[in-house]
Amino acid sequence: MFDEKLTAHMAELSKLSFTPEELTAMTKDMTDIIALMDTVCDFSPEIKPYALDAVDYEELRKDEYQDSYSTEKILENTENVKNNSFVVPKVV
Amino acid sequence: MTLTELRKKLDSHEIGAVELAQDYLKKIKERDAVINSYITVCEEEAIEMAKKAQGVIDRGEAKPLTGIPVSVKDNICTDGIRTTCASRMLEDFVPVYDATAVAKLKAENYVMLGKTNMDEFAMGGSSQTSYFGGPTNPYNTDCVTGGSSGGAAASVAAGLCAAALGSDTGGSVRQPSAFCGVTGLKPTYGTVSRWGLIAFASSLDQIGVVANSAEDTAYVLNTIYGYDENDATTSQKSMGDYTSMVGEDISKLKIGVPKEFFEGTDDEVREAVLKAADYYKHLGCEIVECSLPSLKYAVAAYYLISSAEAASNLSRFDGIKYGYRSNVGEDYNELIKNTRREGFGNEVKHRIMLGNYALCSGYYDAYYNNARRIRTQIRNEYSAIFEKCDVILTPTAPTTAYKIGEQENDPVKMYTADICTVTVNIAGLPAISTTCGYDKNGMPIGMSLTGKAFDEKTIVAVCDKFEKDFDRKECAL
Repeated sequence: MFDEKLTAHMAELSKLSFTPEELTAMTKDMTDIIALMDTVCDFSPEIKPYALDAVDYEELRKDEYQDSYSTEKILENTENVKNNSFVVPKVV
Repeated sequence: MTLTELRKKLDSHEIGAVELAQDYLKKIKERDAVINSYITVCEEEAIEMAKKAQGVIDRGEAKPLTGIPVSVKDNICTDGIRTTCASRMLEDFVPVYDATAVAKLKAENYVMLGKTNMDEFAMGGSSQTSYFGGPTNPYNTDCVTGGSSGGAAASVAAGLCAAALGSDTGGSVRQPSAFCGVTGLKPTYGTVSRWGLIAFASSLDQIGVVANSAEDTAYVLNTIYGYDENDATTSQKSMGDYTSMVGEDISKLKIGVPKEFFEGTDDEVREAVLKAADYYKHLGCEIVECSLPSLKYAVAAYYLISSAEAASNLSRFDGIKYGYRSNVGEDYNELIKNTRREGFGNEVKHRIMLGNYALCSGYYDAYYNNARRIRTQIRNEYSAIFEKCDVILTPTAPTTAYKIGEQENDPVKMYTADICTVTVNIAGLPAISTTCGYDKNGMPIGMSLTGKAFDEKTIVAVCDKFEKDFDRKECAL
């Protein structure tokens, strides 16, 4: 059962914030969604969980240096640039 | 007009590449104010590309897609052209590189008309979660296009491009193709590189094609498929020509009809798809009743797996390196949370919350691991069916296109509507959707043909045969 406390905890883990009204609405939606997801709990056969088998690990490209994009090009999509670097908020 | 016919007209100089591009751009101007299938129209770039293509044609060096006007879904990166994922988060994002699929089209001098509308981050089945407003269905503009590649399907149906690139994680190429009365091909996982496709659920995502016919989808697939060293999941198989079986005798094929897919579908949908089964029976095909018992778990398993992967993939959108950044936030954590609160729409938040919930230590085994077990089971059940059948026939969706706003605030109703398409992604198989009838309101009904892994050629041929004998109605635009 999803309650507002659990929604707030999941929001914290998800790096999302909600207003009190949004939190209430999200709790209702998540309760309905989880009720649908509970269907999988009825599945009982003991078979191996699927793991992606599409990668041939013998055929990976060589781990070697390649030219990449210039710093200027990479920084084109941010407005917060200083000294050829991303500007980030103060962390400590 | 098919792509092959367009190719002939371009090569014989009956039409010019610039004239063709201008013709499509004119139609976009006339019709897309209502259809809203494009987020970005690339008028200048398209004319430039068409001029280059004409030069290639004039030199007699044309390749299959030289000068062909195509639209590209807005979650596929295009160098120098903004790629929004229909999200405020990427509203002004301009990629610095082309997706491999786009690079392959460019290598043939295609003409890109623009970037098409979609559900935000491809999460949805109506395209109404787009930050830019949803597209409308060319058959009835009060109705949804389906999704998430709704703009791609609508652009083809409304004659606003000759073909379109879309992406399919749980039915996002096939379902909108069904709703908009066109053909949509989702290739086998690993056929087309995902390099440059903005990731939603990496073990399920696959770039696909929307076009006016099965043969046209295969014609485009011929160009975009293949191994890519930037995507370790791409197959190294050389497939040859995907249209090579078109026109061949299909009367000896066995077509499986799994009963579970017809439970809970609208009567008109069920009748139209079963009528298609009768058509194949009259051709001489053997219709085999079969079963996929785990279908009842499929929607939940799909949403748990795709949301878990999405929660991880979308953690990169923090407003620091690129994309939208909130103006509000005293510290690092607050800034990130506000950026994501303001940058993502409601449905994307549902998926991130669900994905993180499924991956939490207390719930991991009951939800995520069980979903992965179901994935194994569904793959096994498909393998069992393919021991007896060559292709599988099902409805593409339980209903036809519904009215805009009808399911907007009911995520559970939206999720359960994916029942007919998600198992194909879960099993990594190829499938194609085409129109097999119309409901009492004239809206298209879609049927899907699913094939064995890497056997796109057979489903294209089986679909093509039906299309050539079926009277497809153009939309009224």
